[in-house]
Amino acid sequence: MKKIDLHIHTVSTFSDNGFTYSLDTFKRYVEEAKLDAVAVTNHDMFDPGQFGQIEAALEALVFPGIEVNVEKGHLLLIDEPANLKDFTARTKKVAERITQVGDTMSVEELRGIFGDLNKYLLIPHADKGPPIQGEALEKLRPYLAAGEVDSAKKFIRAMKDSTKLTPVLFSDARMRSDLGAIPLRQTYVDCGTLTLSALKTCLRDRSKVALSEADGNRLWQVFENGQKLSTGLNVLIGSRSSGKTHTLDEICAKIPRSKYVRQFSLVQQDEEAYEREFRGNVERRRSAIADQYLAGFKRVLEEIVDIDLVANDRAVQQYINTLIKAAQEADRQDVYSKSTLFNEVEFEIGKTEELTKLIASVRHLIENIEYRTIIEKHVDLESLKKLAVELIDLLRTKTGEFEEKRIVNGLIREIKGALKLKTAATQVEDVDLYELAMDAKRVERFTQTVEFLKKESVIFEDGLQGYRIEVTSGPFLGAGEIKQASRVQTSFVKAFARYQSPYEYLRELLSDESLSQAALYRLFAKITYRTLNKDGYEVSGGERSEFRLLQEIADAQNFDILLVDEPESSFDNLFLKSDVCKILKGISETMPVVVVTHNSTIGASIGADYLLYARKEMENGQVVYRTYSGYPSDRILLSVDGKSIKCHASVMDSLEAGALTYEERRQGYEAIKD
Amino acid sequence: MKLLKISETGGHFRNEAGEFIPIDKIGKEGLLRLVHWTLHEEAVSFDEYDEKTLKNQAHQLIYKSVAQKLVALRKRRKSFLDESARLYLEDYEKYRPGVSK
Repeated sequence: MKKIDLHIHTVSTFSDNGFTYSLDTFKRYVEEAKLDAVAVTNHDMFDPGQFGQIEAALEALVFPGIEVNVEKGHLLLIDEPANLKDFTARTKKVAERITQVGDTMSVEELRGIFGDLNKYLLIPHADKGPPIQGEALEKLRPYLAAGEVDSAKKFIRAMKDSTKLTPVLFSDARMRSDLGAIPLRQTYVDCGTLTLSALKTCLRDRSKVALSEADGNRLWQVFENGQKLSTGLNVLIGSRSSGKTHTLDEICAKIPRSKYVRQFSLVQQDEEAYEREFRGNVERRRSAIADQYLAGFKRVLEEIVDIDLVANDRAVQQYINTLIKAAQEADRQDVYSKSTLFNEVEFEIGKTEELTKLIASVRHLIENIEYRTIIEKHVDLESLKKLAVELIDLLRTKTGEFEEKRIVNGLIREIKGALKLKTAATQVEDVDLYELAMDAKRVERFTQTVEFLKKESVIFEDGLQGYRIEVTSGPFLGAGEIKQASRVQTSFVKAFARYQSPYEYLRELLSDESLSQAALYRLFAKITYRTLNKDGYEVSGGERSEFRLLQEIADAQNFDILLVDEPESSFDNLFLKSDVCKILKGISETMPVVVVTHNSTIGASIGADYLLYARKEMENGQVVYRTYSGYPSDRILLSVDGKSIKCHASVMDSLEAGALTYEERRQGYEAIKD
Repeated sequence: MKLLKISETGGHFRNEAGEFIPIDKIGKEGLLRLVHWTLHEEAVSFDEYDEKTLKNQAHQLIYKSVAQKLVALRKRRKSFLDESARLYLEDYEKYRPGVSK
């Protein structure tokens, strides 16, 4: 097996966060990581002079390469060291093309610069940002040997999925002068003599690519000293203060996206604080559901707050009064009141929204690429274009007409006002009866909607290992409940008295200046979040801890590794055995998991893929923390510095307080059996 | 085309048939037509407001308002027409027959 890292930066370009390059660092990295081959891949540039120095200084084989920005994703393009002159000339064109942040080239441009892409080793960012995807990926696919990922979890996932490119895990590291610990992301390939074409052949065959030398993809190196972990389920045991938690902390620091469930973090401590925290947690997780549920109602409410039915009634009354009065005064008309404009009503002005939406839809149909063949099967594109043009013509005409009417309305208002000042005659006050009728209809619809909201109903349900999260909608039963939902220190007693008639209730809420209009939509129905146990009752204290663990673990899917420190500190054995073990085992099928435990239920029944035994040892008067590891079926466990220990004895010591105690306990159980 | 006229008998406006009608008889439809002509006709003219000739006080009031508005509108005519032609200009040009995308 050869260990390779084909993604390394040695020049601080505008795409980097600024660093000082050091050849010594590069040498140290290659030596300590025992690399057989590396590639120099800087962003959109290649420096042949620097490459020559690196090649001369390193023991490993060095390939010239470049990381090119293609279609907004990154692509590693690597050449034979023998083609240096040609490669230098071509990469110069890349540097001329990509000159600032945001610049990116098309696949065609890449071909234009490099010619036949089959000559190179091409590796795109696959499950790693910024990825090459979509059409660009399809165009490049015939030339790709592998796809880069950025974690062991993603590596394993891609390895199991034959539709994905062969995964490779590279460091993407900057060879900076102040580099601390060396990077730990490399890939092993089963390759004889390392040449570019041999590498390409190897990478195309996923069975020849692995995370570790001897154990294929079952183990991968996590610590600089060579200590590995399983890509599945690891169980870390050892007596108190043997460095177990410290080991987890270290893993957490090394793997950026670690999900770490700390010891006792789920235990119920201060009852009240816990209650608050638990509720807060549930509320946060689920309040999104309520907002989503109420989104439609919120829009309805936004229209309703501007409707003042009392003012509308007044306007109608005023219209009738002035109409009657004007009729009575018919014989008292003068030159002003006899003018047609004196009692003229304004133009109603229509809306162009519908037409605008229609134009957008037609344009959407014309410009959609994804479903073009289906669209063109039924509608002729030329007809659609004609339709768009005709609609735009209509929109222009209408917009002009409306604008003219607006001008006339302004003139009518102005002249009516001036005429009114000159005469004693009564002017009929205009009213838009259509709008008022619409307002009444809107309020009616709003009232119905609120009634629906107030009906007791389950609006969301979600299950998690026997627990059920239930979100319900129903009526508020008192002013206090409304206050709680509003989170505002004000009295709702007056408003609640009107709660049965939603519109009056709304007017009452609007009259309270301490309430934000934008948040009123939460005050019409009570949205309750509840977590129920298997029997349908609200969860108890202990059950809450279980529920939280389940939630935390379910969350872990979004991370690259799950670390759990002594789950037994929070739960009873039955729950551990029936649920926790099952879930941890399940999740370890898709990502690495490390569980620290003293508990024999977990240690013995979880079905670990890899066993780690932490031990504090005295050596020449010095304390040494050592980790022994191996497969659970191994008779002996080994440390990275070559020491060994018996597997059975270690397990007995840490899980059963030693073989003697285990035997005594077993006999004790035997004695009380019947 | 003359839209507003002052004579011995008072202020007048042009109606659809081209007749001049006393200005106190103008309603919203009449106004709309005047506005439309002002914005779209190549040449329009208005008799200047003159208080001495216009004896009827209602005529004075209405004529003055309408004339002022139309004169102001005439000055904005170009920008008004441009504005509506700018609506969806890009799409319009792209999809117009005879113009390939």
